[in-house]
Amino acid sequence: MNPFTYSRAADWQGAVHDVAADPSAKFLGGGTNLIDLMKMGVEKPDRLIDINRLPLAQVEEMPGSAGIRIGALVRNSDLAEHPLVTSRYPVLSEALLSGASPQLRNLATTAGNLLQRTRCYYFYDPAFPMCNKRQPGSGCGALEGYNRIHAILGQSEQCIATHPSDMCVAMAALDAVVRVQGPKGERTIPFADFHRLPGDTPGVETNLQPNELITAVDLPAIPFATRSHYLKVRDRASYAFALVSVAAALELEGGNIKSARVALGGVAHKPWRATKTEQALIGKKADPETFRAAAEAELAAAKGYKYNSFKIELARRAIIQALSTVAKMA
Amino acid sequence: MANTNILGPARSRVDGPLKVTGRAKYAVEFEIPRCAHAWPVVSTISKGTITAMDTKAAESAPGVLKVLTHQNAPQPTEASGGGGAARSEGIRIEERNPLSDDKVHYAGQFIALVVAQTLEQARYAASLVKVNYAPEAPLLDMAAARKESEKPKKNNDENVQPKKGDVEPALANHILLGVRQTYSTPTETHNPIEMSGIIAAWEGDRKLTVWNATQFVKGVQSILARTYGLDLENVRVICPFVGGAFGCKGALWPHELLAVMAAKAAGVPVKFHLPRREMFTTTGHRTPTVQEISLAATSKGKLQAIKHVSHTAGAFVGDWVESCGARSSAVMYASEAIKVEETVYPLNVAIPTFMRAPGECPGVYALECALDELSYVLSMDPVEVRLANHADDHPLKGVPFSAKHLKEAYQVGAEKFGWSKRNPRPDTMRDGDLKVGWGMATATYPAHKMSAAAKATLFADGRAVVQCATHDLGTGAYTAFTQISSEQLGVPYEKVTFELGKSDFPFGPVAGGSNSTGTVGTAIHDAAQMLHRALAELAVDDAQSPLHRAKVNDIAMIAPGRLGLKKDPNKSDNFTDILKRAGKNAIAVQSKMEEPEEDKKHAFQSWGAHFCEVKIDPLVPRVQVTRVVTVINCGRVVTAKLARSQIIGGVVMGIGMALHEATEYDPKTGMPVNPNLAEYHVPTNADIPEIDVHFVGEPDFAFNPIGARGIGEIGITGIAAAVANAVYHATGKRIRDLPITPDKLL
Repeated sequence: MNPFTYSRAADWQGAVHDVAADPSAKFLGGGTNLIDLMKMGVEKPDRLIDINRLPLAQVEEMPGSAGIRIGALVRNSDLAEHPLVTSRYPVLSEALLSGASPQLRNLATTAGNLLQRTRCYYFYDPAFPMCNKRQPGSGCGALEGYNRIHAILGQSEQCIATHPSDMCVAMAALDAVVRVQGPKGERTIPFADFHRLPGDTPGVETNLQPNELITAVDLPAIPFATRSHYLKVRDRASYAFALVSVAAALELEGGNIKSARVALGGVAHKPWRATKTEQALIGKKADPETFRAAAEAELAAAKGYKYNSFKIELARRAIIQALSTVAKMA
Repeated sequence: MANTNILGPARSRVDGPLKVTGRAKYAVEFEIPRCAHAWPVVSTISKGTITAMDTKAAESAPGVLKVLTHQNAPQPTEASGGGGAARSEGIRIEERNPLSDDKVHYAGQFIALVVAQTLEQARYAASLVKVNYAPEAPLLDMAAARKESEKPKKNNDENVQPKKGDVEPALANHILLGVRQTYSTPTETHNPIEMSGIIAAWEGDRKLTVWNATQFVKGVQSILARTYGLDLENVRVICPFVGGAFGCKGALWPHELLAVMAAKAAGVPVKFHLPRREMFTTTGHRTPTVQEISLAATSKGKLQAIKHVSHTAGAFVGDWVESCGARSSAVMYASEAIKVEETVYPLNVAIPTFMRAPGECPGVYALECALDELSYVLSMDPVEVRLANHADDHPLKGVPFSAKHLKEAYQVGAEKFGWSKRNPRPDTMRDGDLKVGWGMATATYPAHKMSAAAKATLFADGRAVVQCATHDLGTGAYTAFTQISSEQLGVPYEKVTFELGKSDFPFGPVAGGSNSTGTVGTAIHDAAQMLHRALAELAVDDAQSPLHRAKVNDIAMIAPGRLGLKKDPNKSDNFTDILKRAGKNAIAVQSKMEEPEEDKKHAFQSWGAHFCEVKIDPLVPRVQVTRVVTVINCGRVVTAKLARSQIIGGVVMGIGMALHEATEYDPKTGMPVNPNLAEYHVPTNADIPEIDVHFVGEPDFAFNPIGARGIGEIGITGIAAAVANAVYHATGKRIRDLPITPDKLL
C-alpha cells in the first residue's frame, strides 16, 4: 500500500473543495472496494477524504411524488431492509441481498456501490503485465486469457471487464437518477449515462467528474415495480459475483405487457439496460414465447470468448426465467 | 483398558472457550520483542532467469531493515533433504531452497523478501523492487508436457503402478459389459482460514526458536537443525493451535526457511505471515488430474477388469505423485483383474502436495462415477453393483480387511436416506419445477500407523498431564487425546491436561494421513501401561498397601484410578494413595518410540457410504445439494461430537470439490487468476444442507489398542462422485469434468 494521508470531511462543501484541490485524492465511503485495490497497488491515492460523517444516510420519500431519495451513505444492508424499498421496489431489495456478504453489505454504501471498479483478474493484480485500464496501451490480458467472468455485450478490444454490482442492475432497470455536487453546484445524471462502456478509454468507468461527490440516488415512482424480481445466476448459492443476473419489472394489462423494465448484470462493463428486450415485450402476451423472443432481441449482438460463451445462452435463459417469475406474481 | 463401545462420549472441545474468547494463540500471534515483519516479492514469469534486480529504492524506504535476494541471502550450511511423508526427519516437497540461485521455475516463486519494522512498510517497499528477467517458454499444461512425462514406480514406499492379473482380455471381451470414460479434476488449493506463518528468532548463532503454523513440529525442528548445523535441542518449534491445514502445513515450505534466513540477516526476530495470494503458489495444492477408467463386468455386475490410468501434474522443484489409482481402484473392489497406471507431467507451475486424502480423493471420485455409469449399463441399482463386488479381502494383498463393515454402511445409509423410493430412471424425479437427483458412492481411506511417544505425569492430587509433540489442526485433537488419556490412565476427564504443539515434548509424527488419533492414542496407551506398572512397583514395596508383595505382572487397572490383582480385584489400591504413602508429589513416565508392528494377516482400511440429493432448476441449472446421509466405518470413534464434525467437514469440502473449487491459471503467464477467497469458491453455508452422519462397525483392536482408524480424511472421499452421480440422475447429463458449475449443465 502506498503511503497516503487521511482527513475527515465535515460537510459536502468541504469534501468537494478538498477533492477538487488534490487530483489524486479519493473519497472514502465503506472502503470495501477501494481499500482492497489500494492494498493490491491498483489504486494509489495520495489522500483519502472520509465522507462517512456527512448527513447522507437517509432514505426519504420525494416530496410530491411516490419516488424515493436514497442518500449516498445509506449502507447496502439498511437499504435492502428499508420499508420504502421492500414495499415499492422489491427488485432492489433482492438485488442488494444477493450481493457480497452480510459483513460487506453492512459497510458498503450506495454511492460506493455505484463507483466500484469493474471486476477482472488482469485489472486487480498488477503482476499481470497487460491491462489497458491500469496501463493504457499495454493490451487486454483477458482477451486471450482466462475470461470466464467477462463481458458479452458492449465490450471493446481494449477491455472486456464486467461491472460486478447487483444493486446497480436493479437501479438501471428502475430509471434511477444520480444526484451529484461539484464546484459549480448540483447536477443530475440519468442512470443509463452514469457508467460508461470501455471503448478506447476503459480506465474511465463513469461520467462522474473527479471533483464531484454523489449525494443521492433518486428512484422515480414506478407503481408496477411492486411486481419485480432480481434473478442472480452464480457458481454458488451465496457470496459470488453474478455469472449473469436479471432485474425485471412488468406492468400487465389483461395478460398483455403494458410496460417493462429489464436490466442485465455480469454481461457488460456497465449495468446493462436491456432496451431491445423491453421493446420486444411491449404489447405482447406475457408468455414464454414472448420472453424467448425478447431475450434473443437483446442477445443477438452478444459476443463470447474462449471461456465465457456460455453466458449468451445463460443470459437468454435467465431473462426468460426472470420474466416468467414476474409474470406469475399476483 | 479396552473400551468396546464404538461411540465415545460427545465431548465439546476442551479448547473451545479459549478459541471463542480469542485467547488461543496461533503461531503468528505470539508477541516477540523487537519482531520485524516480512513481505515477499514473487516471480511474474513461469520460467527463466533473473537478469537484474534493483532493490535500492526498497532498501532506502522507511523502516526497511533488509532486502533479501538470491544475491545476498545467507544460504543454509547444507541442503536440507526431506524424505517421505512418514519420515520422522521432516518433509520437503519443494526441495529447492528459496533464493538459492537466479532461476525461476514457476510463477509466484519467492525471488526477494523485504524485512521492515512494520508490515505496511515491508509491503510498500516490496512494491519498489524492480526485476528483469530473461524468460523462457514455460510448460503450463499437461498436453504440452507429454514429452517430459514419467511413470514413477514408487511414491515413498507405495507401488503406484500396481496390477493383478491381466485386464486386457476382459476389456476386449464383447460379451462383457463395460464403461470407458475419462474424468478430470482441476487444481484445488487447501485454503485453511489460518494462512501459513512463522516467527523466527535467533539467540546468537546456535539457538533458534520458531513459532510456526505447522502439521509437524518435530519435522520442522529436524530440518532446521540439519539445515543450519544446530543441535536438535537448540531448535525449538512452538505451535499450540493450527487454524486448519488440510495438508498445506505438513511439509516445510520455502517461507519457513526465508523467515529463518531473514531473522539471521536482519539480526532481529522476523514474522512472515503469508498473504492469501501466496498460499496459492508457495504451500502446494492438489494437482489437476485426468483419469481414464475402463471397467468390464458380467451381466450380473461382477467386475472382471478395472483399468485406471491417471495423468497428473508435477513440478521442477521437487517430486509429487498423486497415486489416484493405487489408492482407489487397487483397493476398493473384488475385480478379477486390476491395472493401475500413473503418469506425472512436470510443469512450470508451483509444486503440488498432499491435500486431504491425496490420491484417494480424485481416484475414488473417478472410480465411483464409472461404477455409477456401469450401473446404468447393467440396469442394476448402484448399491447392488457395489455389493456384487464387495471385497472381503484386499484385492492385491489377498488378506482380509480388518473390522470392515461396509455392507452395513450401505444398508444404514440407504435406510436413513430412503433410497428404496428412488426411481432408477434419470431425469424423472421432480420437486415442483426442479429436477431431483439421488446419487451414492463409496468412501474409503486407509488406516495409517506411525510412531509416537507420550509422557504422562500423575500427581498425588489426582491430576494428570500428558504431553506429545502432536498437533490440533482445528480437528479436536486436544479433546480426543484428553479423552484417550482419561480412559487409558484411569483419571477423570476433568483432571487430565493434554499438551501438544511443542518440539520439547516427546515425538509426535506429522498430523497427516489421518494417523494422529491412532498413533498418539497408542503412545498414550503405552504410557498408561508404564504408569500403572510404576505405581504397581511402588505398591508391592509398600507394607501398607493391600497389594504389598504381590507380583507386578499380576496387577492391572481394575477400575478408573484403581490398581488391583487381576485374579482377585478385592485386593486393590488407589493411584493417589499409593503416591501419597510413597511420599511422592508426582510420578512421570515416557513411552518408547517404537516402529509399529506390521500385521501381515490383515489389511486396515476405513469405509463409508454417501447418499445425496440434489435439486436443479432446469432452465438456470445451478446444482443445490439438499440432503446428505453419510455412514462411516472407521473403528472406534473417540469423541462422538468432534468425529461427526470431522466427517461433516470432509463432506462439505467434497461438495466444494464437486461443485465449486478450482484454481484457474492465466494461460500465458501461468499465474493463478483467482488467488483469493472471493473468487476461489468454497461452499458457503447456503450451499450446505443438513448432513446426517452415522457410524457403524466395531473398534478395530487388530489395528491398535485404541481401536480407532482415524477420521480426518475419509469424509471427503467419494462425496464428489455421489454429487456428480446425483446430477446425472437428476438431469441425464453426465458431467465428467469437475467442478460442476452452471455452464456445464446448459
